[in-house]
Amino acid sequence: MGEVSLSSEQRVFMTGNETVAWAAIAAKADIMYGYPITPQNEIMHYWTRLMPKYGKKFLQTEDEISAGFTLAGGVISGAKAFTATAGPGNVLMQESASMAEMMRLPAVYIIQQRGGPSTATVIYSQQETTITTFGGNGEGHRIVFSTSTHQELFDYTIKAFNSAWAYRFPTFVLGDGYQAKMREPLTIYDPEQRGINLVKPEPILGIRPNGSKFTHLRNTYNTEEELYKVVMANQAEWEEMAKKVVEWDSRDCEQADVIILTHGVVSRAALGACQQLREQGHKVGYFRPITLRPFPGEQLKAAIKQAKKILIAESSYGQLVKLVENALYGSTVEIVPMLRPGLGITTEEIVDEYNKL
Amino acid sequence: MSKTIKIALAGEGGQGVQSIAEILAEAANEGGKQALYIPNFGVEQRGGVSIAYVQISDSQIGAPKFQEADILIPLSGRAVVRTKMHAGKDTIYIYDNSLIAEGEVGDSIVGMQYFDVTPPCPTAGEPSEKYSPETTVDKPNEDLQQDLIAGEPKTCSFTRPGPGIDPAEIPQVKKVIAIPANDIAKNELHPRVFNVIILGAVIAATEVLPLEAIEAALDVKLADKFKNNPQLREMNFKALERGYNLIKSAM
Repeated sequence: MGEVSLSSEQRVFMTGNETVAWAAIAAKADIMYGYPITPQNEIMHYWTRLMPKYGKKFLQTEDEISAGFTLAGGVISGAKAFTATAGPGNVLMQESASMAEMMRLPAVYIIQQRGGPSTATVIYSQQETTITTFGGNGEGHRIVFSTSTHQELFDYTIKAFNSAWAYRFPTFVLGDGYQAKMREPLTIYDPEQRGINLVKPEPILGIRPNGSKFTHLRNTYNTEEELYKVVMANQAEWEEMAKKVVEWDSRDCEQADVIILTHGVVSRAALGACQQLREQGHKVGYFRPITLRPFPGEQLKAAIKQAKKILIAESSYGQLVKLVENALYGSTVEIVPMLRPGLGITTEEIVDEYNKL
Repeated sequence: MSKTIKIALAGEGGQGVQSIAEILAEAANEGGKQALYIPNFGVEQRGGVSIAYVQISDSQIGAPKFQEADILIPLSGRAVVRTKMHAGKDTIYIYDNSLIAEGEVGDSIVGMQYFDVTPPCPTAGEPSEKYSPETTVDKPNEDLQQDLIAGEPKTCSFTRPGPGIDPAEIPQVKKVIAIPANDIAKNELHPRVFNVIILGAVIAATEVLPLEAIEAALDVKLADKFKNNPQLREMNFKALERGYNLIKSAM
């Protein structure tokens, strides 16, 4: 592989962590705030390596609480900023994410899930689904993209900055240790050369470039009614945003008896299983929420109209099932869970599970 | 090639399975194939079995890990046990039948940093004009900074003489090939190119890439080292070819 650059579209072969660093450069991010934790460390390493050439900044803080709040401060000042973490670090960052929900801050978080609870493994899981979608002491006013390939890690990291700055909700890219550490090909590019508009950041506190002033950002309210009004206004804006941001991938669901439903890297195994099973003549469909928050509930309802069963495979104990059940309340379709907390799921295992139905 | 070739390499930490997996995947990618490489990794600083998963295909690759490997290459007794779940009826199984066992980690290193205990490694010497392979095998660390190795003897032998892998431990598979890669490296070439012999063997067993593709990948990967030490290049290519021919003659 020759020298990597964004000056033209380039096929590269790299780890997911390196991919994220390149995507942040491509999205014209200004600064990363971070605290090391496996398996996301190399995002920081690659970002700091690229930093001098692209004129970027990096601040290593004393812990993840600080990384989260310096990130909040960064975006308030008008910098396109992000952080990356995993596991227990994700737990600590929820405090800042919650403030970002309240103050409507466009903070971008990259999460490379590791095993849990607590320190657990440094390897892999999907056990940060619940905390990443609803981790704060609030209503989950955030956007969560769950990626499954390096190409998506690149595309959705760019999209995360755009969504955050367009709608002013904290935005998460939910990856995992496998995506972080594996190497596979992808095409990197300059989004503007592809005609993708990059939303420009602006100072949120103080004087804006157009001269208007905004000097009071609140996360404290004196009365119940006052807070109620603000949260309901945020809820309404979140719902309005949700319609535009929600994404999913649905394949062969119309005539399917069974739908295999997964998110993130497990979708790769699900896709392989669906292909194999369809070649054998089984009526199998594939559904994958790409945004976990907002969750594509209506789209899922439409996809399962003919289905008798949904097989849900996840590397956690029912965190995806919970999102699906909530979306499908009232439906009589049978949900068959395949729950492997902290464990990778292969194509063969999903096929085996299907054959047991 | 219509299907995806699944390769699992497993060895003791330090045997170099991750680096050859990476070279293999990169060469496949350069050759226009789809390739995916994922290491397994844990919190251990030293010792233990390290597994590398590589998949090569003409079409999009699915899940990063898999159950049954097409080619399974465990390089130590412990690796044979750890990779049992990846052996299936269609698996080609390549193992090292040299008379070696896993290296031992002494209690004296508990609490020490990785860099304090890892160098100097018994196989760390590089062949050069100044130090012939023979010299570096006998006096393995002559080409290293001597202040690095002064003081306490450090613990970092990845292997030591031992009974070798017990053939009875090997699971039922399509084909088993034993190669004395460790012995060949030590006696004919240089301990450091052990993993390159294995890489040659993988290329011969998978038949998805020409040997030249790997030579080109090595030239890119080790460009600086090869430039400083042309003998090293020759040695690596010889090791690659040796590994390749071992498998070709066995199949």
